Amino acid sequence: MLRSRVVIAIAAVAIAIVLQTTVFGSGRIEPFGVAPALVTLVVIAVAPYVEDEVTILLGFTGGILMDLIGSGTLGLWAMSLTVVAFIASRISGRYADSVVRSLLAAFVLTLVGQLVYVILGTLFGQETAGEPNVVSKIVLPAMWNVILAYPVFWLMRVVFRPRDRSFVP
Amino acid sequence: MNRVTILFLALVSLGFIIATFDVRSDGDGVANVLREGTQSVFTPFQKGVDWVTTPVVGFVDGVSNLAGLRDENDRLAERVRELEAEVRATDALEEQVTQLELINGLEVAGELATVTARLYSGGVSPFDNARFIDKGASDGIVVGQAVVDEDGLVGRVDLVSANDARIRLITDPLVSVGVRVQSTNETGIVSGRGDGPLRLEMFRANEAVYVGDLVVTDGSRFPPGLVVGTIAETADAEVGFVLRSSVEPAANLSEVDYVKVIVGFTPVDVSLEESTTESVTSTTASTTSSTTTTVQGDS
Repeated sequence: MLRSRVVIAIAAVAIAIVLQTTVFGSGRIEPFGVAPALVTLVVIAVAPYVEDEVTILLGFTGGILMDLIGSGTLGLWAMSLTVVAFIASRISGRYADSVVRSLLAAFVLTLVGQLVYVILGTLFGQETAGEPNVVSKIVLPAMWNVILAYPVFWLMRVVFRPRDRSFVP
Repeated sequence: MNRVTILFLALVSLGFIIATFDVRSDGDGVANVLREGTQSVFTPFQKGVDWVTTPVVGFVDGVSNLAGLRDENDRLAERVRELEAEVRATDALEEQVTQLELINGLEVAGELATVTARLYSGGVSPFDNARFIDKGASDGIVVGQAVVDEDGLVGRVDLVSANDARIRLITDPLVSVGVRVQSTNETGIVSGRGDGPLRLEMFRANEAVYVGDLVVTDGSRFPPGLVVGTIAETADAEVGFVLRSSVEPAANLSEVDYVKVIVGFTPVDVSLEESTTESVTSTTASTTSSTTTTVQGDS
Protein backbone atom coordinates (compact mmCIF):
# COMPACT_ATOMS: atom_id res chain seq x y z
CA MET A 1 0.00 0.00 0.00
CA LEU A 2 2.75 2.39 1.07
CA ARG A 3 4.88 1.42 -1.90
CA SER A 4 2.09 2.07 -4.39
CA ARG A 5 1.48 5.51 -2.86
CA VAL A 6 5.16 6.35 -3.12
CA VAL A 7 5.19 5.27 -6.78
CA ILE A 8 2.09 7.35 -7.50
CA ALA A 9 3.58 10.36 -5.72
CA ILE A 10 6.83 10.14 -7.70
CA ALA A 11 4.88 9.70 -10.93
CA ALA A 12 2.79 12.79 -10.08
CA VAL A 13 5.94 14.84 -9.57
CA ALA A 14 7.48 13.55 -12.82
CA ILE A 15 4.31 14.43 -14.75
CA ALA A 16 4.33 17.87 -13.13
CA ILE A 17 7.91 18.42 -14.32
CA VAL A 18 7.00 17.44 -17.89
CA LEU A 19 3.99 19.78 -17.87
CA GLN A 20 6.01 22.55 -16.25
CA THR A 21 8.61 22.47 -19.03
CA THR A 22 6.14 22.06 -21.92
CA VAL A 23 2.62 23.41 -21.33
CA PHE A 24 3.86 26.06 -18.91
CA GLY A 25 7.24 26.48 -20.61
CA SER A 26 8.54 29.62 -22.21
CA GLY A 27 6.20 31.13 -24.81
CA ARG A 28 3.32 28.86 -23.76
CA ILE A 29 0.93 29.43 -20.89
CA GLU A 30 2.73 32.09 -18.91
CA PRO A 31 0.26 34.73 -17.70
CA PHE A 32 2.15 38.02 -17.23
CA GLY A 33 5.35 36.23 -18.21
CA VAL A 34 5.45 33.86 -15.23
CA ALA A 35 4.18 30.27 -15.09
CA PRO A 36 2.71 28.42 -12.09
CA ALA A 37 5.03 26.34 -9.92
CA LEU A 38 3.38 23.03 -10.66
CA VAL A 39 5.94 20.76 -9.00
CA THR A 40 5.69 22.71 -5.75
CA LEU A 41 1.91 22.46 -5.91
CA VAL A 42 1.98 18.71 -6.42
CA VAL A 43 4.28 18.25 -3.41
CA ILE A 44 1.86 20.30 -1.29
CA ALA A 45 -1.15 18.38 -2.64
CA VAL A 46 0.40 14.95 -2.09
CA ALA A 47 1.47 15.69 1.51
CA PRO A 48 -1.88 14.80 3.19
CA TYR A 49 -1.91 11.33 1.62
CA VAL A 50 1.58 10.01 2.38
CA GLU A 51 3.84 9.67 5.39
CA ASP A 52 5.79 12.75 6.50
CA GLU A 53 9.11 11.14 5.58
CA VAL A 54 7.79 10.32 2.12
CA THR A 55 6.66 13.94 1.63
CA ILE A 56 10.12 15.24 2.49
CA LEU A 57 11.84 12.70 0.25
CA LEU A 58 9.39 13.58 -2.51
CA GLY A 59 10.19 17.28 -2.17
CA PHE A 60 13.91 16.54 -2.39
CA THR A 61 13.48 14.21 -5.36
CA GLY A 62 11.24 16.65 -7.25
CA GLY A 63 13.69 19.45 -6.55
CA ILE A 64 16.75 17.53 -7.67
CA LEU A 65 14.95 16.55 -10.90
CA MET A 66 14.12 20.21 -11.52
CA ASP A 67 17.75 21.08 -10.89
CA LEU A 68 18.93 18.41 -13.31
CA ILE A 69 16.60 19.58 -16.08
CA GLY A 70 17.13 23.27 -15.44
CA SER A 71 20.26 25.32 -15.93
CA GLY A 72 20.74 26.56 -12.39
CA THR A 73 23.07 25.30 -9.71
CA LEU A 74 22.38 21.70 -8.79
CA GLY A 75 20.73 21.31 -5.38
CA LEU A 76 18.99 24.68 -5.05
CA TRP A 77 15.49 23.50 -5.98
CA ALA A 78 16.17 20.33 -3.99
CA MET A 79 16.72 22.40 -0.86
CA SER A 80 13.80 24.74 -1.59
CA LEU A 81 11.29 21.97 -2.18
CA THR A 82 12.60 20.04 0.83
CA VAL A 83 11.77 23.09 2.97
CA VAL A 84 8.31 23.30 1.35
CA ALA A 85 7.75 19.57 1.86
CA PHE A 86 8.87 19.74 5.49
CA ILE A 87 6.38 22.53 6.28
CA ALA A 88 3.68 20.75 4.26
CA SER A 89 4.25 17.55 6.22
CA ARG A 90 3.90 19.47 9.48
CA ILE A 91 0.66 21.25 8.58
CA SER A 92 -1.00 18.92 6.06
CA GLY A 93 -3.44 17.72 8.72
CA ARG A 94 -4.73 21.26 9.06
CA TYR A 95 -5.37 21.96 5.38
CA ALA A 96 -6.33 18.47 4.18
CA ASP A 97 -10.02 18.80 5.00
CA SER A 98 -10.68 22.42 4.09
CA VAL A 99 -10.83 24.04 0.65
CA VAL A 100 -10.01 27.52 1.92
CA ARG A 101 -7.08 26.31 4.00
CA SER A 102 -5.82 24.23 1.06
CA LEU A 103 -5.79 27.27 -1.21
CA LEU A 104 -4.09 29.29 1.50
CA ALA A 105 -1.48 26.56 1.99
CA ALA A 106 -0.86 26.45 -1.78
CA PHE A 107 -0.27 30.21 -1.82
CA VAL A 108 1.92 30.49 1.28
CA LEU A 109 4.03 27.38 0.67
CA THR A 110 4.64 28.28 -2.98
CA LEU A 111 5.69 31.73 -1.85
CA VAL A 112 8.07 30.15 0.68
CA GLY A 113 9.53 27.84 -1.99
CA GLN A 114 10.15 30.66 -4.47
CA LEU A 115 11.60 32.88 -1.75
CA VAL A 116 13.96 30.20 -0.45
CA TYR A 117 15.13 29.58 -4.03
CA VAL A 118 15.86 33.28 -4.55
CA ILE A 119 17.85 33.46 -1.32
CA LEU A 120 19.80 30.28 -2.08
CA GLY A 121 20.35 31.35 -5.70
CA THR A 122 21.84 34.62 -4.49
CA LEU A 123 24.04 32.84 -1.93
CA PHE A 124 25.34 30.50 -4.64
CA GLY A 125 26.12 33.32 -7.10
CA GLN A 126 23.15 33.14 -9.47
CA GLU A 127 22.15 36.78 -8.86
CA THR A 128 18.50 35.76 -8.55
CA ALA A 129 17.68 38.49 -6.03
CA GLY A 130 19.03 41.10 -8.43
CA GLU A 131 16.90 40.00 -11.36
CA PRO A 132 14.37 42.45 -12.78
CA ASN A 133 10.80 41.42 -11.90
CA VAL A 134 12.04 39.23 -9.04
CA VAL A 135 9.00 40.12 -6.94
CA SER A 136 6.57 39.01 -9.65
CA LYS A 137 8.62 35.81 -10.13
CA ILE A 138 8.06 35.06 -6.45
CA VAL A 139 4.44 36.18 -6.08
CA LEU A 140 2.82 35.24 -9.42
CA PRO A 141 3.57 31.48 -9.26
CA ALA A 142 1.95 31.48 -5.82
CA MET A 143 -1.15 33.20 -7.22
CA TRP A 144 -1.40 30.83 -10.21
CA ASN A 145 -0.97 27.90 -7.84
CA VAL A 146 -4.05 29.07 -5.91
CA ILE A 147 -6.03 28.87 -9.17
CA LEU A 148 -4.63 25.42 -9.98
CA ALA A 149 -4.87 24.15 -6.41
CA TYR A 150 -8.50 23.11 -6.58
CA PRO A 151 -8.17 20.74 -9.58
CA VAL A 152 -4.78 19.43 -8.42
CA PHE A 153 -5.99 18.72 -4.88
CA TRP A 154 -9.11 17.09 -6.29
CA LEU A 155 -6.99 14.94 -8.61
CA MET A 156 -4.75 13.81 -5.76
CA ARG A 157 -7.78 12.87 -3.72
CA VAL A 158 -9.15 10.80 -6.61
CA VAL A 159 -5.79 9.12 -7.17
CA PHE A 160 -4.96 8.34 -3.56
CA ARG A 161 -8.52 7.83 -2.24
CA PRO A 162 -7.54 8.17 1.41
CA ARG A 163 -9.46 6.34 4.10
CA ASP A 164 -8.12 8.08 7.13
CA ARG A 165 -7.85 11.67 5.95
CA SER A 166 -9.95 13.21 3.23
CA PHE A 167 -10.02 16.36 1.20
CA VAL A 168 -13.52 17.17 0.04
CA PRO A 169 -13.57 19.84 -2.65
CA MET B 1 14.52 15.89 17.59
CA ASN B 2 12.22 13.42 15.84
CA ARG B 3 12.91 11.30 12.77
CA VAL B 4 11.20 13.69 10.33
CA THR B 5 13.27 16.66 11.46
CA ILE B 6 16.48 14.65 11.23
CA LEU B 7 15.59 13.56 7.69
CA PHE B 8 14.78 17.15 6.76
CA LEU B 9 18.09 18.46 8.07
CA ALA B 10 19.99 15.61 6.40
CA LEU B 11 18.42 16.33 3.00
CA VAL B 12 18.97 20.08 3.25
CA SER B 13 22.60 19.38 4.16
CA LEU B 14 22.86 17.01 1.20
CA GLY B 15 21.41 19.68 -1.09
CA PHE B 16 23.94 22.17 0.26
CA ILE B 17 26.81 19.77 -0.41
CA ILE B 18 25.55 19.07 -3.94
CA ALA B 19 25.21 22.79 -4.66
CA THR B 20 28.70 23.52 -3.35
CA PHE B 21 30.14 20.64 -5.36
CA ASP B 22 28.34 21.87 -8.50
CA VAL B 23 29.60 25.43 -8.08
CA ARG B 24 33.15 24.18 -7.42
CA SER B 25 33.12 21.89 -10.46
CA ASP B 26 31.63 24.68 -12.60
CA GLY B 27 28.80 22.39 -13.73
CA ASP B 28 31.13 19.88 -15.38
CA GLY B 29 31.96 16.26 -14.66
CA VAL B 30 29.45 14.08 -12.83
CA ALA B 31 26.84 16.84 -12.76
CA ASN B 32 26.89 17.09 -16.54
CA VAL B 33 26.53 13.32 -16.93
CA LEU B 34 23.57 13.34 -14.54
CA ARG B 35 21.96 16.26 -16.38
CA GLU B 36 22.33 14.54 -19.74
CA GLY B 37 20.97 11.28 -18.34
CA THR B 38 17.95 12.92 -16.72
CA GLN B 39 17.18 14.96 -19.81
CA SER B 40 17.39 11.89 -22.03
CA VAL B 41 14.78 10.19 -19.81
CA PHE B 42 12.41 13.17 -19.89
CA THR B 43 12.90 14.15 -23.55
CA PRO B 44 10.48 11.61 -25.13
CA PHE B 45 7.74 12.62 -22.69
CA GLN B 46 8.40 16.32 -23.18
CA LYS B 47 8.31 15.95 -26.97
CA GLY B 48 5.11 13.91 -26.79
CA VAL B 49 3.33 16.38 -24.51
CA ASP B 50 4.63 19.28 -26.59
CA TRP B 51 3.30 17.67 -29.78
CA VAL B 52 -0.12 17.05 -28.23
CA THR B 53 -0.56 20.37 -26.46
CA THR B 54 0.97 22.83 -28.92
CA PRO B 55 -2.27 23.41 -30.94
CA VAL B 56 -4.34 23.80 -27.77
CA VAL B 57 -1.81 26.06 -26.10
CA GLY B 58 -1.50 28.08 -29.32
CA PHE B 59 -5.28 28.49 -29.44
CA VAL B 60 -5.44 29.61 -25.79
CA ASP B 61 -2.57 31.99 -26.40
CA GLY B 62 -4.27 33.36 -29.55
CA VAL B 63 -7.61 33.91 -27.81
CA SER B 64 -5.96 35.66 -24.89
CA ASN B 65 -4.20 38.02 -27.30
CA LEU B 66 -7.18 38.62 -29.60
CA ALA B 67 -7.78 42.15 -28.44
CA GLY B 68 -4.31 43.30 -29.32
CA LEU B 69 -4.09 41.55 -32.70
CA ARG B 70 -5.66 44.32 -34.80
CA ASP B 71 -3.32 47.01 -33.43
CA GLU B 72 -0.41 44.62 -33.79
CA ASN B 73 -1.37 43.94 -37.42
CA ASP B 74 -1.46 47.66 -38.28
CA ARG B 75 1.85 48.23 -36.55
CA LEU B 76 3.48 45.30 -38.37
CA ALA B 77 2.16 46.44 -41.76
CA GLU B 78 3.73 49.84 -41.20
CA ARG B 79 6.95 48.18 -40.04
CA VAL B 80 7.04 45.99 -43.18
CA ARG B 81 6.81 49.07 -45.40
CA GLU B 82 9.68 50.71 -43.51
CA LEU B 83 11.80 47.56 -43.71
CA GLU B 84 11.19 47.12 -47.43
CA ALA B 85 12.53 50.62 -47.97
CA GLU B 86 15.53 49.82 -45.76
CA VAL B 87 16.21 46.57 -47.63
CA ARG B 88 16.29 48.39 -50.97
CA ALA B 89 18.79 50.87 -49.54
CA THR B 90 20.85 48.11 -47.93
CA ASP B 91 21.00 46.06 -51.14
CA ALA B 92 22.56 48.97 -52.96
CA LEU B 93 25.09 49.52 -50.16
CA GLU B 94 25.91 45.82 -49.99
CA GLU B 95 26.70 45.75 -53.66
CA GLN B 96 29.01 48.72 -53.23
CA VAL B 97 30.79 47.10 -50.28
CA THR B 98 31.28 43.84 -52.19
CA GLN B 99 32.81 45.65 -55.09
CA LEU B 100 35.10 47.67 -52.82
CA GLU B 101 36.23 44.52 -50.99
CA LEU B 102 37.01 42.80 -54.26
CA ILE B 103 38.92 45.80 -55.48
CA ASN B 104 40.96 45.89 -52.28
CA GLY B 105 41.60 42.16 -52.29
CA LEU B 106 39.62 41.49 -49.13
CA GLU B 107 37.70 38.33 -48.43
CA VAL B 108 34.06 38.64 -49.42
CA ALA B 109 31.55 38.18 -46.61
CA GLY B 110 31.09 34.47 -45.99
CA GLU B 111 27.99 32.46 -45.41
CA LEU B 112 27.75 30.49 -42.20
CA ALA B 113 26.14 27.08 -42.08
CA THR B 114 23.19 26.84 -39.70
CA VAL B 115 20.91 24.11 -38.42
CA THR B 116 17.25 24.95 -37.90
CA ALA B 117 15.82 23.56 -34.68
CA ARG B 118 12.58 23.69 -32.75
CA LEU B 119 12.24 24.50 -29.07
CA TYR B 120 10.29 21.75 -27.34
CA SER B 121 10.89 22.52 -23.72
CA GLY B 122 11.18 25.64 -21.61
CA GLY B 123 12.66 26.34 -18.24
CA VAL B 124 11.58 24.64 -15.02
CA SER B 125 10.96 27.96 -13.26
CA PRO B 126 10.85 31.71 -13.97
CA PHE B 127 14.49 31.85 -12.87
CA ASP B 128 15.60 29.27 -15.41
CA ASN B 129 17.03 30.55 -18.68
CA ALA B 130 17.54 27.17 -20.36
CA ARG B 131 15.60 25.96 -23.39
CA PHE B 132 15.83 22.62 -25.17
CA ILE B 133 15.99 22.16 -28.94
CA ASP B 134 15.34 19.04 -31.01
CA LYS B 135 18.74 18.92 -32.72
CA GLY B 136 21.99 17.69 -31.22
CA ALA B 137 25.47 16.36 -31.84
CA SER B 138 24.28 14.23 -34.76
CA ASP B 139 23.36 17.48 -36.54
CA GLY B 140 26.79 19.00 -35.97
CA ILE B 141 25.90 20.98 -32.87
CA VAL B 142 28.61 21.42 -30.25
CA VAL B 143 28.82 23.34 -26.99
CA GLY B 144 29.44 27.06 -27.41
CA GLN B 145 27.76 27.64 -30.76
CA ALA B 146 25.59 30.72 -31.23
CA VAL B 147 21.83 30.38 -31.48
CA VAL B 148 19.83 33.00 -33.38
CA ASP B 149 16.32 33.61 -34.61
CA GLU B 150 15.09 35.96 -37.33
CA ASP B 151 15.55 38.98 -35.03
CA GLY B 152 18.97 38.32 -33.54
CA LEU B 153 21.04 36.43 -31.00
CA VAL B 154 19.03 34.12 -28.73
CA GLY B 155 21.77 32.39 -26.72
CA ARG B 156 24.47 29.76 -26.82
CA VAL B 157 24.52 25.99 -26.77
CA ASP B 158 25.67 24.75 -23.37
CA LEU B 159 24.77 21.05 -23.27
CA VAL B 160 24.57 18.60 -26.14
CA SER B 161 23.34 15.04 -26.45
CA ALA B 162 22.99 12.99 -29.62
CA ASN B 163 19.62 14.36 -30.76
CA ASP B 164 18.96 17.27 -28.41
CA ALA B 165 20.73 20.28 -27.04
CA ARG B 166 20.22 22.80 -24.30
CA ILE B 167 20.64 26.48 -25.00
CA ARG B 168 21.30 29.14 -22.41
CA LEU B 169 19.54 32.40 -23.26
CA ILE B 170 21.50 35.65 -23.45
CA THR B 171 19.46 36.88 -20.48
CA ASP B 172 21.14 34.28 -18.24
CA PRO B 173 23.48 35.96 -15.73
CA LEU B 174 26.15 33.38 -16.60
CA VAL B 175 26.20 34.35 -20.30
CA SER B 176 28.51 37.14 -21.46
CA VAL B 177 28.90 38.21 -25.07
CA GLY B 178 31.57 40.38 -26.63
CA VAL B 179 29.83 43.12 -28.60
CA ARG B 180 30.43 46.15 -30.78
CA VAL B 181 28.23 49.24 -30.87
CA GLN B 182 27.77 49.77 -34.58
CA SER B 183 27.51 53.55 -34.51
CA THR B 184 30.79 54.07 -32.61
CA ASN B 185 32.55 50.82 -33.58
CA GLU B 186 33.69 50.45 -29.96
CA THR B 187 33.56 47.15 -28.14
CA GLY B 188 32.22 46.00 -24.80
CA ILE B 189 30.59 43.10 -23.02
CA VAL B 190 26.92 42.43 -22.48
CA SER B 191 25.76 40.02 -19.81
CA GLY B 192 22.35 38.79 -18.79
CA ARG B 193 20.44 39.85 -15.71
CA GLY B 194 18.01 36.96 -15.66
CA ASP B 195 15.31 38.88 -17.44
CA GLY B 196 14.70 42.09 -19.38
CA PRO B 197 17.46 44.31 -20.78
CA LEU B 198 21.06 43.11 -20.81
CA ARG B 199 23.87 44.83 -18.92
CA LEU B 200 26.42 46.58 -21.20
CA GLU B 201 29.91 47.47 -20.00
CA MET B 202 32.46 49.19 -22.22
CA PHE B 203 35.90 49.53 -20.67
CA ARG B 204 37.59 51.75 -23.26
CA ALA B 205 34.73 53.79 -24.63
CA ASN B 206 35.54 57.20 -26.03
CA GLU B 207 32.14 58.02 -27.44
CA ALA B 208 28.65 58.10 -25.97
CA VAL B 209 26.02 55.54 -26.86
CA TYR B 210 22.45 56.57 -27.60
CA VAL B 211 19.07 54.91 -27.33
CA GLY B 212 18.43 52.85 -30.46
CA ASP B 213 22.09 52.31 -31.41
CA LEU B 214 22.52 48.83 -32.83
CA VAL B 215 24.67 46.37 -30.85
CA VAL B 216 26.21 43.40 -32.67
CA THR B 217 28.59 40.58 -31.75
CA ASP B 218 32.28 41.42 -32.04
CA GLY B 219 33.44 38.04 -33.32
CA SER B 220 35.32 36.79 -30.25
CA ARG B 221 33.00 34.01 -29.11
CA PHE B 222 30.25 34.22 -31.71
CA PRO B 223 30.42 35.08 -35.42
CA PRO B 224 30.82 38.83 -35.86
CA GLY B 225 27.92 40.98 -36.91
CA LEU B 226 25.05 39.06 -35.28
CA VAL B 227 22.44 41.48 -33.97
CA VAL B 228 22.26 41.38 -30.16
CA GLY B 229 19.91 44.30 -29.59
CA THR B 230 19.68 48.05 -29.30
CA ILE B 231 20.91 50.47 -26.65
CA ALA B 232 18.12 51.09 -24.15
CA GLU B 233 19.76 53.87 -22.14
CA THR B 234 21.88 56.75 -23.38
CA ALA B 235 25.26 56.88 -21.60
CA ASP B 236 28.22 59.23 -21.86
CA ALA B 237 31.82 58.08 -22.08
CA GLU B 238 34.16 59.44 -19.41
CA VAL B 239 37.89 58.95 -19.40
CA GLY B 240 38.95 56.41 -16.78
CA PHE B 241 35.43 55.17 -16.15
CA VAL B 242 33.57 52.18 -17.48
CA LEU B 243 30.65 53.11 -19.71
CA ARG B 244 27.60 51.33 -18.37
CA SER B 245 24.32 51.05 -20.19
CA SER B 246 21.67 48.47 -21.02
CA VAL B 247 20.72 46.68 -24.21
CA GLU B 248 17.22 45.61 -25.20
CA PRO B 249 17.56 42.15 -26.82
CA ALA B 250 16.48 42.08 -30.47
CA ALA B 251 15.05 38.58 -30.17
CA ASN B 252 11.73 38.24 -28.38
CA LEU B 253 12.96 35.53 -26.07
CA SER B 254 9.57 34.65 -24.62
CA GLU B 255 8.08 33.93 -28.05
CA VAL B 256 10.84 31.89 -29.66
CA ASP B 257 9.63 28.67 -31.31
CA TYR B 258 12.28 28.01 -33.97
CA VAL B 259 15.95 28.93 -33.88
CA LYS B 260 19.05 28.50 -35.99
CA VAL B 261 22.25 27.16 -34.51
CA ILE B 262 25.29 28.52 -36.30
CA VAL B 263 27.41 25.44 -36.83
CA GLY B 264 29.78 26.95 -39.35
CA PHE B 265 31.75 28.99 -36.81
CA THR B 266 34.02 27.44 -34.21
CA PRO B 267 33.88 29.42 -30.98
CA VAL B 268 37.28 30.42 -29.63
CA ASP B 269 36.71 29.03 -26.12
CA VAL B 270 35.38 25.71 -27.39
CA SER B 271 38.27 25.18 -29.76
CA LEU B 272 40.60 25.56 -26.78
CA GLU B 273 38.58 23.32 -24.47
CA GLU B 274 37.55 20.52 -26.79
CA SER B 275 40.05 18.93 -29.09
CA THR B 276 37.30 17.07 -30.94
CA THR B 277 35.31 20.15 -31.88
CA GLU B 278 37.16 20.75 -35.10
CA SER B 279 36.48 17.30 -36.46
CA VAL B 280 32.81 17.45 -35.51
CA THR B 281 32.38 20.86 -37.10
CA SER B 282 34.19 19.84 -40.24
CA THR B 283 31.69 17.07 -40.82
CA THR B 284 28.74 19.38 -40.38
CA ALA B 285 28.08 19.86 -44.07
CA SER B 286 27.53 16.18 -44.67
CA THR B 287 25.54 15.40 -41.55
CA THR B 288 23.12 18.32 -41.82
CA SER B 289 22.40 18.41 -45.49
CA SER B 290 18.64 18.12 -44.98
CA THR B 291 18.31 20.95 -42.50
CA THR B 292 21.31 23.16 -43.11
CA THR B 293 20.75 26.64 -44.47
CA THR B 294 22.97 29.65 -44.44
CA VAL B 295 23.06 32.95 -42.64
CA GLN B 296 25.02 36.03 -43.67
CA GLY B 297 28.01 36.79 -41.53
CA ASP B 298 31.04 38.98 -42.05
CA SER B 299 33.66 36.46 -40.98
